[in-house]
Amino acid sequence: MDDRAEMLGPEKAGRETAFSRPFADTAPAVAPAVGRRRGRGWMERSEVRSLYLLAAFLVAAYALPFVIGIRYGTVRWDAEWLGYLGTVVLSGFLQGGVYAMFAVGLTMIFGVMRIINAAHGEWVMMGAYLTWAAFFYLGVDPLLSLVFTLPIAFVFGMVVQKLLLNAVVGQPELTGLLVTFGLGLTMIYVAELIFTTDFRTIPYAPHSVQITDSIAVSQNKLISFTMALAISVGVYFLLKLTRIGKAIRATALNAEVAMVCGVNVGLIYLITTGIAASLAVAGGALVSIQFGFNPETGIIYTLQAFTIIILGGRGHYLGALIGGFMLAVLESLVSLMIPNGTAMVELAAYGLLIAVLLIRPGGLMGVKEG
Amino acid sequence: MTQREHLRNLALLGLLALGLLALPQGLSVYLTSFALFTMMYVVLALSWNIISGFTGYTSFGHVAFYGIGAYACAILVVDHGWSWVTTLFAGALVAGLVAVAIGYPVLRLKGPYFAIAMLGMAEGTRVVATVWDGLTHGGLGISFPSVENSTSTYYAMLVLMLITIAVAYLVAHSRFGIRLNAIREDEVAAEALGINVTRYKLLAFVLSAVFPAAAGGIQAYKVLYIEPQAVFFVQITIAMALMSMLGGKGTVIGPVIGAVLLYTAQELTWVNFPTAHLIAYGLFIIVVARFMPRGLIGFAIDRGWVRKGMVH
Repeated sequence: MDDRAEMLGPEKAGRETAFSRPFADTAPAVAPAVGRRRGRGWMERSEVRSLYLLAAFLVAAYALPFVIGIRYGTVRWDAEWLGYLGTVVLSGFLQGGVYAMFAVGLTMIFGVMRIINAAHGEWVMMGAYLTWAAFFYLGVDPLLSLVFTLPIAFVFGMVVQKLLLNAVVGQPELTGLLVTFGLGLTMIYVAELIFTTDFRTIPYAPHSVQITDSIAVSQNKLISFTMALAISVGVYFLLKLTRIGKAIRATALNAEVAMVCGVNVGLIYLITTGIAASLAVAGGALVSIQFGFNPETGIIYTLQAFTIIILGGRGHYLGALIGGFMLAVLESLVSLMIPNGTAMVELAAYGLLIAVLLIRPGGLMGVKEG
Repeated sequence: MTQREHLRNLALLGLLALGLLALPQGLSVYLTSFALFTMMYVVLALSWNIISGFTGYTSFGHVAFYGIGAYACAILVVDHGWSWVTTLFAGALVAGLVAVAIGYPVLRLKGPYFAIAMLGMAEGTRVVATVWDGLTHGGLGISFPSVENSTSTYYAMLVLMLITIAVAYLVAHSRFGIRLNAIREDEVAAEALGINVTRYKLLAFVLSAVFPAAAGGIQAYKVLYIEPQAVFFVQITIAMALMSMLGGKGTVIGPVIGAVLLYTAQELTWVNFPTAHLIAYGLFIIVVARFMPRGLIGFAIDRGWVRKGMVH
């Protein structure tokens, strides 16, 4: 039953709790150990229950925009509206790939060093401005500029690690939060000093691509998604297949043991932050060709990235990808159907964040705390 | 600490109160309001310190309570015609109830998870305040009718500050405070000793929520205009944390020193270097968090200037 729930994915599993197993909670609290092991696979009872709860919550969260939309008459169910729905969900999905990419950077820093990088959104913002500057002052194509913005970001990340984060590893969480927040604040005001607070946009591939008769997505979204996917897959293989990737994962599991096994943990910290900064800057470049940005847009990206890594499971790579898609699709549903939706979009992220933390802090993938 | 030392501290607080009572007579309107805001930050930092310093639960969204208090004051005064002093109690009550409602689930989270959840909570409250037009007038904010409020708000803030200092002092020297410290040091061990950790954490959280709400109300009536962006500003949370840390987190006198020093420094740099001061502020946060996480008090204790048990 639980294995099936695993395969069906969380949404289906949620429906199963609601309908086919209404009395799951009344089962005997203490099952024989052997029976539990055989019946429940590797998951414990509380784990399974929290997964069901989370799934039920997610189903409710996705249903809510529809319910509100029906109440306010923004849902119409005719062909034209369904076309809008398809368009919005598809572009949300494409957006999710970009979110997931920069969220992976956050989850890497958190996983390896247990530091919450409160400046992550500002790194994304920095990427957007680097791309913008390259485009307007040097006339470089936004995608081509990744060739030199990524190395800049990597070096930037290493410098940040060397000067600030190395001292924070192992300290109480407030220290890391404050240090990175201070960094973010400094970056915001430096950006304001250089670029002012005006909103900037990069006009890039604004045409839309007709997928079916009624569903169309804009070119820049498709390009961003493809790039994000390519970079994510690259990082995935870097982590899975190379020696460096193995060392990073070992450090994330247990830094001391990794050190004993001959991993140069200090170097791994440098590389991790470098990669994380590069991912954030790449995310910024891909965001900048779709949306306007100003120095203060960073915090939204920070919170989105938090939501994604909490939803997916901290330190879990595939989880971040799924979390990115789920958040972005939910956001697009909210902005389509709820009146005053653009202001409510942010609420989707915060609501998901808090609910997931409360229901299942390990996220969809059930990462254990530690 | 002995009876004598408590009496000495009470006398010091009384002297401070007398000095501040007389202050508006001799000062310009600008300096009065400067003193008012300094006292406001003392209230905020001390309240934050109850949950995050004494109990060890780093709240990264405490501005939510401040904003709730400000909105309670503005809505009740402008839309319902209450007298503004009454709204402070109403705001504190609302914030206390909100703290119970969110604290009960959120305080189960540990360390960084609690911090992130509170950050999301505060930002979420801001969005609600922006979207819920019918109650909060939306993103345009609420303007009060113009009144003369310089002295009345000053005294209200003074009273609030004295109450907050007294409460923080009493907490720090009570069994309640010792239990909070036990929770901070090792929650599992505290629970094993028979401390009802859920209840004490919740109580500390509520205590740390009511004073910022009242401060937010006074601030709203002082400035006579509020909007979601201003009263749910993330940097107010940061200021609370930074001031506590600068003075010495987990002590009573630390946040007071930190708030006075930092707010004064901010005001001076803001006046003299309007563009560079924000960058300097960001760098300052980094320096304080990076080099003196135990604050000035910790610095003084390390050098033997202050006896360890004296600083509470």
